[in-house]
Amino acid sequence: MGIVEEVFTIELPVGESFRIQRCRYTSKNEEDSKRISIVSGIHGDELEGQYVCFLLGEWLRQNPEKIRGTIDIYPAINSLGIDSITRSIPFYDVDLNRIFPGSKNDFLPAQIADGVVNVMRGSDLAIDIHSSNVFLREIPQVRIAKSQEETLVPLANLLNIDFVWVHDAVTVLESTFAHAMNTIGTKTLVVEMGVGMRLGKAYGHQLLDGLLNLMAHEGILEIEPLKVRFPIQSHVGEVAYLNAAYPGLFVPAIEHCQMVSKGDVVGHIVSALSGEVMDEVIAPIGGMLFTLRAYPIVYEGSLLGRIFGKICGDSQ
Amino acid sequence: MRRFDIVTLESPNRAPLRIEGFLFGEENTKGPSIAIVGAMSGDHVNQLYVASGLVDYLRTKEEEGKIIGKILVIPAVNAYALNMGEKFWPLDKTDINMMFPGYHQGETTQRIAARLFDTLKGYDYGVILEGRRDQGMCLPYVKMIQSGYEDLECAKDLGMNFIHYRPHEPVETAMLQYNWQLWETKAFSIVFGKNGTIDQRDSEEVHTALVRFLSKRGMLKFSVFEGKQSNIIDPHKITLLKASRAGIFISKVRCGTHVEKGERLGKIIDALSGEKLEKIISPCEGIVTCQYSHPLIFQNSIAFRIASVEICCQIIN
Ligand SMILES: [Zn+2]
Repeated sequence: MGIVEEVFTIELPVGESFRIQRCRYTSKNEEDSKRISIVSGIHGDELEGQYVCFLLGEWLRQNPEKIRGTIDIYPAINSLGIDSITRSIPFYDVDLNRIFPGSKNDFLPAQIADGVVNVMRGSDLAIDIHSSNVFLREIPQVRIAKSQEETLVPLANLLNIDFVWVHDAVTVLESTFAHAMNTIGTKTLVVEMGVGMRLGKAYGHQLLDGLLNLMAHEGILEIEPLKVRFPIQSHVGEVAYLNAAYPGLFVPAIEHCQMVSKGDVVGHIVSALSGEVMDEVIAPIGGMLFTLRAYPIVYEGSLLGRIFGKICGDSQ
Repeated sequence: MRRFDIVTLESPNRAPLRIEGFLFGEENTKGPSIAIVGAMSGDHVNQLYVASGLVDYLRTKEEEGKIIGKILVIPAVNAYALNMGEKFWPLDKTDINMMFPGYHQGETTQRIAARLFDTLKGYDYGVILEGRRDQGMCLPYVKMIQSGYEDLECAKDLGMNFIHYRPHEPVETAMLQYNWQLWETKAFSIVFGKNGTIDQRDSEEVHTALVRFLSKRGMLKFSVFEGKQSNIIDPHKITLLKASRAGIFISKVRCGTHVEKGERLGKIIDALSGEKLEKIISPCEGIVTCQYSHPLIFQNSIAFRIASVEICCQIIN
C-alpha cells in the first residue's frame, strides 16, 4: 500500500487549502534508492494521466513485493483546475507549465511551481503525462527538446508509445516543468496522448505497460521487461502541419491515427449558416495522421492535424 | 488622421475581428516614428482607455498642425476578448502577447501576432501599454527588459517615477517588447492600473508621460513641463511584504504613499471567523509601489512592494 501525503499546501482565502497530494510506494529494502515521479494534471483539463496514475497504483497495490525503489504518484498538480475543468491556475489564468521553475517570492502560480520542483527534487526520473488539450487528439508520444535528445530518447523508447518527437529548442519552453526538472538532474519525459477532458482507456493501458517496462529497465521494479512497441522516431521523417485556411466547422473525413497518402482528403471546413463547403483539407504529404482536431469550431490558423511522413521530393 | 484596419480575421459565426490603427502625421515624414499598442488582453481596459484618449488628443493636435512625426496608436488588439469578459483569445485561451514575433503559417493567434508585427516593425519607438499579470495594482512604471538592444535613456524622457530595468525571463522572449527590441525599435512597456478597472489619476499620469515623450523625441510640436527624474529600479531595491495568512485583505495605504519604518500598511482577517490574523507592518522607510488588489488574498501572496533607495530587508525564503 502506498502512503498518501500532502506534499504542498497553501492557504486559500476562505476556509480551505490548496494542496498537492502524492501516493508514495517504497521498497522494503532500504538500499533501493532509485526514485521516479509520475506526474499528471499540470493542466487541469487533461485527464488521461489521472487514469494512468490509477492503473499504476492498482498494479503496485497488487505487487508490492516487486518494488525496488521509490515510486511517487502525483495525479493532480493543478488540483483546483482538475476538479473544475480549468486548464490554468484559477484566479490568475496562468498556465502553470509556463512559469517553472517558479519562485517563493512571486504570485501563487509561481509559488506552486516552486513547490512542485522542491517536492520532486532528487527524483531520478519523472514522467509528466499530458493529454493535448480539448482541441486536438494525439497518439501516445513523447516530446523531447533537441538538447536532451541523447539522454532522453533511450528512455522514451522504453515507454510503449508510438512516436518520439525531438523538437528544436524554444526559449519559451525553458519555463516548463520538464525543462526545470531536467536542469536539476531529474530525467523528465513529457508524454502527450489522447484529448483534453476525456479518457481513453486503451491509451492508459498502453502507457501503464510502458511505465512498468521503464521501471523494470531502471531496476525500480523487479519484473521482466515487457514486450513494448518501438516508437517511430521523428528524425527519420518530417512533420507536416495542417492549419485551417478558413473559419468554420471542421468535419474530419478520416479517423485519427490512420495512414494517409499525399492528396487524401483529411476533412472539410463547412459553413453551418450557408450550407457551403468552404474548404477541402488535403494531406500535403503521405504518412501517419498522428494529431487530429477534436474540437470542430475553427478559425483561420487553427491546427487541424499533423502528419508524420517522408516529404516527397516533387514540388507542388 | 487615418483610421484603418491593421488586421482583420473572419470568425465562424461572430463579426470579424478588426484590429484598428489610428495614424497621425505624414506617412513619409522625416521625423521620428512611434507606435503605441493598447489592450492586448481583455482585462486591459485601463490601457484601452489611455490609448483611445491619446487618439482623441492627437486628433486635436493634428488639426492644430502640431504633429511632426509619424504616430500610430492601436487601442485594442484583442477586441474579441474585451467584448466578452475574457482575458485571452476566446477560443483557445492563448495570449496574443505570448505569440511574438508571430508566424504567418501558424495557429490563429500566431497569425494575428505576425500580421500585427509586420505593421509594427520599423518604427523608431514602440510603447506597449500593459497591465500586470498578477492580482496587483501599481504606481505606473516603465518596464524595460534587457534584450541586448534596449535603450534605457529614451525611456527617461517619459519623466515617470520608476523604471524597472531587469534581465528578461524565458517567457518574455515570446512577448512583443523583446521581439520589437530585437527588430531595433526602441521598445518599452508602461505598466499601470488594476486589471479590469480604470483609474483616472494613473490614466492622466500615463497620458502626460506619453505626450511628454512625443514632445521630447520630436514627434509633437508642443512644450510640456518636465517630468520626474526617473529612478532606475532593479529587483534588489524592492522589499516584498508577503501575507503570512490567507483571508480578507484590507489595505490602509495607496500606491505612492511614503511610509515609515513600523507603519501599519494593512491587515488580514479570517474570512469566516472575522478574527484578525495578521497586521502588515512596513519594515523599512520607502514608497509603496505595488499592492495586492483583490479583497481575498492567498497565503504567501505579495501584499505590498516597497521601493527604497537603500536596501532594507529583502525577503528571501
Ligand atoms: Zn498539458
